[in-house]
Amino acid sequence: MLAIQNLHAAYGKVEVLHGISLEVPKGKLVTLIGSNGAGKTTTMRAISGMIKPKSGSVQLDGRDITGLDSHRIARAGLAHSPEGRRVFATMSVTDNLLLGAFPRFTRARPKGDVQHDLERALELFPRLKERRTQLAGTLSGGEQQMLAMARAVMLNPEVILLDEPSMGLAPILVDEVFRIIARLKSEGVTMLLVEQFAQAALNVADYGYVLENGSIAVHGPAASLKTDPKVVAAYLGGGHAH
Amino acid sequence: MKKNPTLLAAIVAGIVLVLAYPLLFTNPYYVHLAETILIYAILLYGLDIVVGYTGQVSLGHAGLFGIGSYATGILVLKLGAPWFVAVPASIAFAALFGAILALPALRVTGPYLAMVTLAFGTIVQILINEMTFLTEGPLGIQLQKPSVFGRELTEVEYYYAVAGFMLLSLLLVHRLLRSHVGRAFEALRDSPIASDCMGVSVYRYKVYAFVISAGFAGLAGSLYAYSEQYISPNSYNFELTILFLLAVIMGGRKSRLGSLIGATIVVMLPSLLSDIEVFRKIAVTAAVVAVIVAALMIAKRRTTVGRAAVPVLATLALAVVAYKLESMVDWRLTIFGLMTLFVVYYLQDGIVGFFKSLMGRGRSHVVASEGAGAADPFAGIRADAGDAKGELLRVEQVLMQFGGLKALNMVDLNIARGTVHGLIGPNGSGKSTMMNVLTGIYKPTAGAVVYAGQPIAGRTPSQIALGGIARTFQNVQLFGEMTALENVLVGLHHSFRATWLDVMLSTPRYRREELAARARAAAILDFIGLAELANEEARNLPYGKQRLLEIGRALALDPRLLLLDEPAAGLTAPDIRELMAIIRKIRDHGITIVLIEHHMDVVMSISDTVTVLDFGQKIAEGTPGKVQSDPRVIDAYLGGAAETTPPQPAAL
Repeated sequence: MLAIQNLHAAYGKVEVLHGISLEVPKGKLVTLIGSNGAGKTTTMRAISGMIKPKSGSVQLDGRDITGLDSHRIARAGLAHSPEGRRVFATMSVTDNLLLGAFPRFTRARPKGDVQHDLERALELFPRLKERRTQLAGTLSGGEQQMLAMARAVMLNPEVILLDEPSMGLAPILVDEVFRIIARLKSEGVTMLLVEQFAQAALNVADYGYVLENGSIAVHGPAASLKTDPKVVAAYLGGGHAH
Repeated sequence: MKKNPTLLAAIVAGIVLVLAYPLLFTNPYYVHLAETILIYAILLYGLDIVVGYTGQVSLGHAGLFGIGSYATGILVLKLGAPWFVAVPASIAFAALFGAILALPALRVTGPYLAMVTLAFGTIVQILINEMTFLTEGPLGIQLQKPSVFGRELTEVEYYYAVAGFMLLSLLLVHRLLRSHVGRAFEALRDSPIASDCMGVSVYRYKVYAFVISAGFAGLAGSLYAYSEQYISPNSYNFELTILFLLAVIMGGRKSRLGSLIGATIVVMLPSLLSDIEVFRKIAVTAAVVAVIVAALMIAKRRTTVGRAAVPVLATLALAVVAYKLESMVDWRLTIFGLMTLFVVYYLQDGIVGFFKSLMGRGRSHVVASEGAGAADPFAGIRADAGDAKGELLRVEQVLMQFGGLKALNMVDLNIARGTVHGLIGPNGSGKSTMMNVLTGIYKPTAGAVVYAGQPIAGRTPSQIALGGIARTFQNVQLFGEMTALENVLVGLHHSFRATWLDVMLSTPRYRREELAARARAAAILDFIGLAELANEEARNLPYGKQRLLEIGRALALDPRLLLLDEPAAGLTAPDIRELMAIIRKIRDHGITIVLIEHHMDVVMSISDTVTVLDFGQKIAEGTPGKVQSDPRVIDAYLGGAAETTPPQPAAL
């Protein structure tokens, strides 16, 4: 579904990604783990067009989307739930969700039943349902994160990029976010996930890639990465009581 | 403060060019034109302080320029004042009005500030026009070139006087902007809230910026009056103020060279455009430059053929049009407008910024001095560990109400000296509100906050920061365009006793303090493990490093109480281990810490006491073990997997 070949990206003159190749097959959940500054968020941003890759290719469902503007990539069917929950603060929850479906009101995406999908998204995130008329800026951090995820779902996308969905959330909400990810997966949604809780990410994912200093160091089925002694030592063990 | 040899050579060449100019172009018209450029440059140095460094908009600088001119005109006309009285008086008078102009800037920003400053400029022009008893109104004032030792200066002599003032202004502005004062200006542009919390009063430094900027506008205005020998209200109109702003943006903000280039363009271009032959040459040169630059950028893969096509074709078209046109007179302003639009649209960093990025060089920054690791990162910190185990901070029955919402509802909090105090609770439970109350960003609706025996509710954030409460921010609030080192140096602002006068005169006191601050900043960066990234702009750092840099910047404040707002958010396991080691070291130096965090392993292993908030109320408090097993806490916050903490959708 999503195929990335030899992707290079840089901020100014500092190259951050030195040739990343990865694949997200249809209906699968793939996770990208690595320490801070390894280039996880940069990879996400390069895929969704928020920064222009220097070289390499990004293909969505066989279509080349490398270097397109991000709104065109969204219209091609790739939804990005960005790091740090960027919701439209002065708009209501419902309006935020409908904006997520915006490309469906253009010729770029099949329209489908937007109203039905809106109800479904609110079912998936019951907290949002209670607050559907509230302004997004007045939601708590956890609710804003859910809104950012729900908004991505509203595109009815081919692939969703989830960047740090559990960042800054209370433990009880972290559990809920992972339950929702698992549910989306069971519904056949294709996702690429970046997570601070590498262990939990590998628990829900089918396949994992480990980024180190802008290159893929190891990759394999999530189950085997979880037992890879090097991965355990570097990313899963210690500090965390997982 | 090492000197770069090429830069030094360029400066010497520039000075020689300025001084040799009247020998090369003896025509008085050209001398006068160059004089105007130098005068505008003085004003633009000042305007750049406001626009480039503090990030404010001012459409009032033509008004300040006019005030400078008229102060000189009136003093000469009414009192026959000599230049050495008129020039300083004009500076002082304009600076006074600069302070008035700063008042709206304290309340409004962006388009609103533009409107207010525009109104200021218009009122000045109208007043000059109406106050005929003082200003002679629309008739204007005539005056002569200044006299020295009883002899009036010639045009060329006056040119040298202006050149002297320009070079002096250049030196003073440059010294000021690379000092701690300049860093304070930049800090308040990038994050006013963080500036205040670093003890850099946004209020005070905005006023400073406007006053200093206005002073240079006054100097320029005064020199302009002598240069033109005739001033009238029409000269100080709206167009002039736009021209000034344009010059800063076109030349390149945050650059003295940019101001000079901008001044040259706005003065020279309209007159050059009136001559068809000259215009043809300019158009051809522009087309050639555009083609070369586009080719370079495509070769370096900085842009695509499609993107480069528009500017290249536009400049080529201009060159063709230049040869088609018979006369320039009718088209002059249109072409000037188009060229301006073009430069502003395509070169958003200005001409200087564009060529710097083309040559692969970023903006110039203060560079970390080598071998500074000898300094102690905790040099200025008074340890609290040895003291009696009393409390450092007491929050009594604090109520913080926003409309009908009680974000904090009668909360008590006692923070013991030398401890780590965890503060947890669901998202939206009031933790960050508590941070903002403790640092003075919010004034509590009711209740008291007592820090080190003193009530602090009602003090400004910068006063509280200078009292020893430092913080980090949940949504990172670094000074993005400044380097890691400069960010820490802003935190060390309090260590400077030197005033802006010390800075301009580069006194030994200032230089000593600057060296000490740099050494300390380098040591702090070393402590948080960012020594190698010292010269990287903060906005280019990865997220986790930005969080560490916030801690470093907070340490620079020599805090007794450090408030950490979700320092581990978004960090993976190895980074968290590093972070915990740093927090422990900070505590071991006797700094009391309040820690807001959602990573339970961090909070529970490092805190001495934990307080839990929910819906603005305290629902539990005690040792980590006690809090962790509290059913209310599990219910509201930890969730089912409380004993083991982290999220486990599927068991291992």
